[in-house]
Amino acid sequence: MDNQYNKRKTKQFLVFAIGFSLLILSFFFSLSVGASSIDLGTIIHSLFLGEETQQSRIIQSLRLPRAIVGAIVGANLGIAGAIMQAITKNPLASPQIFGVNAGASLMVVIAVVLMPSFSPTNLIFFAFLGAALGGSIVYYMASTGGGMTPIKLALAGITVHMFLTAMIEGLIIFHEHSTEDILFWLAGAIDGRTWDHVQVILPWALIGIVGAMVFAKQLTILSLGDDMARGLGQKIALFRIVASVFVIILAGSSVAIAGPIGFIGLIIPHIVRKLVGVDYRVVIPASALLGAVLLVLSDVISRFISFPAESPVGIVTALIGGPFFLYLARKGGQ
Amino acid sequence: MQNKKGLYILITLGLVVLVLSVIGTGIGAVYIPPYEIISNLLGNDIGSNQLIIQNYRLPRIVIALLVGAGLSVSGAVLQGIIRNPLASPDVIGITKGAGLSAAIVIILFPKAPIFVLPVAAFLGAACIAILLYLLAYKNGVKPSTLSLVGIALGAICHAGIQYLMVKFPLEVNAALVWLTGSLWGKSWDDVWLLLPWILILLPVTIIMAVKLDILNLGDDVAEGLGERVEVMRMVLLFIAVGLAGSSVAIVGSLGFVGLIAPHIARRLVGNKHHLLLPVSALLGMVLVLIADMLARGLMPPVEIPAGIFTAVIGAPYFLYLLRKMQSTP
Amino acid sequence: MKKVYVGFILMISIFVLAACGGQSDEPASADETNQQEETETTGEDQTSSESRVITHEMGETTITGDPKKIVALEFSYVDALASLGISPIGIADDNDENRIIEPIRDKIDDYTSVGTRKQPNLEVISSLEPDLIIADLKRHKDIYPQLEEIAPTIILGSLAADYQGILDGFEVIAQAVNQEEHGAEILELHKQKMEELRAQIPEDETRTVMPAVVASSGFYAHDDDSYTGSLLSSIGLTNAIQSGDERYNKINLEQVVEFNPDIMFHMVAGDETVVDEWADNSLYQDVSAVESDQVYQVDRNMWSRFRGLISSEQILEDAINHLYKN
Repeated sequence: MDNQYNKRKTKQFLVFAIGFSLLILSFFFSLSVGASSIDLGTIIHSLFLGEETQQSRIIQSLRLPRAIVGAIVGANLGIAGAIMQAITKNPLASPQIFGVNAGASLMVVIAVVLMPSFSPTNLIFFAFLGAALGGSIVYYMASTGGGMTPIKLALAGITVHMFLTAMIEGLIIFHEHSTEDILFWLAGAIDGRTWDHVQVILPWALIGIVGAMVFAKQLTILSLGDDMARGLGQKIALFRIVASVFVIILAGSSVAIAGPIGFIGLIIPHIVRKLVGVDYRVVIPASALLGAVLLVLSDVISRFISFPAESPVGIVTALIGGPFFLYLARKGGQ
Repeated sequence: MQNKKGLYILITLGLVVLVLSVIGTGIGAVYIPPYEIISNLLGNDIGSNQLIIQNYRLPRIVIALLVGAGLSVSGAVLQGIIRNPLASPDVIGITKGAGLSAAIVIILFPKAPIFVLPVAAFLGAACIAILLYLLAYKNGVKPSTLSLVGIALGAICHAGIQYLMVKFPLEVNAALVWLTGSLWGKSWDDVWLLLPWILILLPVTIIMAVKLDILNLGDDVAEGLGERVEVMRMVLLFIAVGLAGSSVAIVGSLGFVGLIAPHIARRLVGNKHHLLLPVSALLGMVLVLIADMLARGLMPPVEIPAGIFTAVIGAPYFLYLLRKMQSTP
Repeated sequence: MKKVYVGFILMISIFVLAACGGQSDEPASADETNQQEETETTGEDQTSSESRVITHEMGETTITGDPKKIVALEFSYVDALASLGISPIGIADDNDENRIIEPIRDKIDDYTSVGTRKQPNLEVISSLEPDLIIADLKRHKDIYPQLEEIAPTIILGSLAADYQGILDGFEVIAQAVNQEEHGAEILELHKQKMEELRAQIPEDETRTVMPAVVASSGFYAHDDDSYTGSLLSSIGLTNAIQSGDERYNKINLEQVVEFNPDIMFHMVAGDETVVDEWADNSLYQDVSAVESDQVYQVDRNMWSRFRGLISSEQILEDAINHLYKN
């Protein structure tokens, strides 16, 4: 017993150690790759010595905030997915499939179209509203007629997603004849994000992460099934609601800053549970870590799609995530 | 009794379709009053509006009818074989497959002749259906796996479309117009491309209605009745793909038609497919007719993609239906 | 139950047949109207009844007489027609007449909007009964057969054309409206004018230029292959981006810094743009054009959407005024 416990601890430690190294590596790529490539020495100089060369300013004012936004959004989405999969006990639950991303995206587009002078700080609240709306519609639809199966969730989610997407397209067609805008609001991107954006999203991300950690134990119990959870008594419903609020904060703030980036919330929790088991005190931070790695790396890849032009990172996560989704689907969503 | 009620519903819907078709012919950038349309359809010359009716309105009306029937019957069949009321060609990736292969043709082979596009779209839909079947096939195709795999394939195709749009921004115009789902610029040529598919597959589907009823009883019962469930499901799946693929090939992804028309039909006439299928077809026609009328008539001379209207009409109604389904299981 | 199907199928077939039956009348009546028109035109103008074969992007089209009622589905063609002294009866102006730049609005009469350039309204085009339609390869290739049915249609490059492509297109249009010689004169005048404008640019001009559409969604640089880029480089202003995957690249601040243009022309779309966000960044301040105060805001309709002879001259005058007259 002890031996097994130690083994698991060692494995978890390894996952975090490797995860951190990967994050550092992905940050290195993210800081180095771009219009001009910058070597490791210069990166370290500009990060820690604060030199005032052009390259160091590119790193400090452009690439670093972009990488940080990527890491935060990735972490947010990873955690949001993990929470959703725990409280619904549904392996396909994730901000995208639950309509949370599309809902937030729609509300942000409405706000941008109707009130163009809105700052990102205010947009976040619209995103929260949209996230809550999209999420509850899907939840409501998927839980009709006794229990939410993966298949019902997926069908309800994709339906709501299609509806919200059509609304977004319609709004943008009315508003401006710009196809680039449509792509951004349908796929999500983090190019050109600045320290301002970091400032806007960071507090919400912290609330979400801390909240998720505080309730990690309850999440573990919920994820194990209703029999186990019955021990929690009547508080199950309450926990679900509280956890949903954290999901809305995490996913909503991400969409407001980066658009509806998909699949990270779906993939990451699965990989993480494979690696570290079902204890959410470990699953949550590991999801955050690996989510950050995945998004930052995807962002690096997105720079190559049509260089020197920028491409939305959401396309890369979709190209990576689609096949994984297919793999989950073949297993019948188990 | 049931049959009599069904007959009345069919006749009523048929009349609605007829009236909408006539009124719809009059709506667009130039308004034409219904009596002129009828007079023209009866063979009278009505002057300058004649060309508009004959060249632009009528082909669009006919395509709306065909596509409406094709998509909704496809949806009804899919809901039957997947045994899930939320299934439809757009949900399980067939539409997206058609879209991806059309986008590939538009973007990578800009010199290809125009008639290649629908063929490519149909092949794309068929490829997705085959992949769907192969990937979902594990000791027989379980309905739930089938639709999950479909959604996943749809997501991959969607990512592919977005990739192409980003990689080739100059070509996006053509691709996007096509992908949003619109009857803009359709002509008699498109009617002739679509007509054989619908005219052949629709009666075949109705003949197979009994089989769908048997499938609805569950795999075990169906097998007990001596049906080869797997084969039947495969045949029906390909009929559904043929109907949806050919429709999408002409008008792009008109969402929600295949989803809600069968639902409304089920509420009207129940689960027996011999009634359900024709009623679905008529309801699909109504939906597409209305959507295209709005697309033409709302802010002329600007056209709005009809796909946006099918979604805007379809989705709220869908939610309402789900509510109903919950209260009366 | 069988009756139900029979009735159902009958009804559909009747409707479809009725519709198709109606359609079969159509070619005859269309021919009649054509004939009528032909006789009318020959009656009016004896000299213009000869036919010309115009070669364009989608093949060859025969045009008879002098087309008078012309529909233009891109702004380039409005510009070309205005240069030739013809006023189009229909324009795909995206339902916003303010998109027609002023020097051209002055030259043309009232016209009917035929909707967006992406999806022009065929019914409206048809109801105008044009005798020539000019359409764009990228946008209107798919509806070419329908347009051909309405009137002889020529398809040219505009959306994806560079400056030389626009000039070539102008020649084809001049041919199509039976003003080949007049067109050649105008083109000659245009080239002279361009020469004069070019002469105002110092021989030793070595600065690089970056024309770009700036919007809230991004900064879209027009490279050397684009219309605006190639136009500017034709008078010796080297584009900062010599090659890219596509002609309109969405680039970020980092790349602007990297390309470091000496002059920037911002075609502004919308009230707030990404450039407002960049303004505070010291990197942006250090871009050569910003540092030397060589960033100019210009009219997007004129600089990017119009792509024609008149607008080309206007753009260069604009550019020269900005660069050398102050």
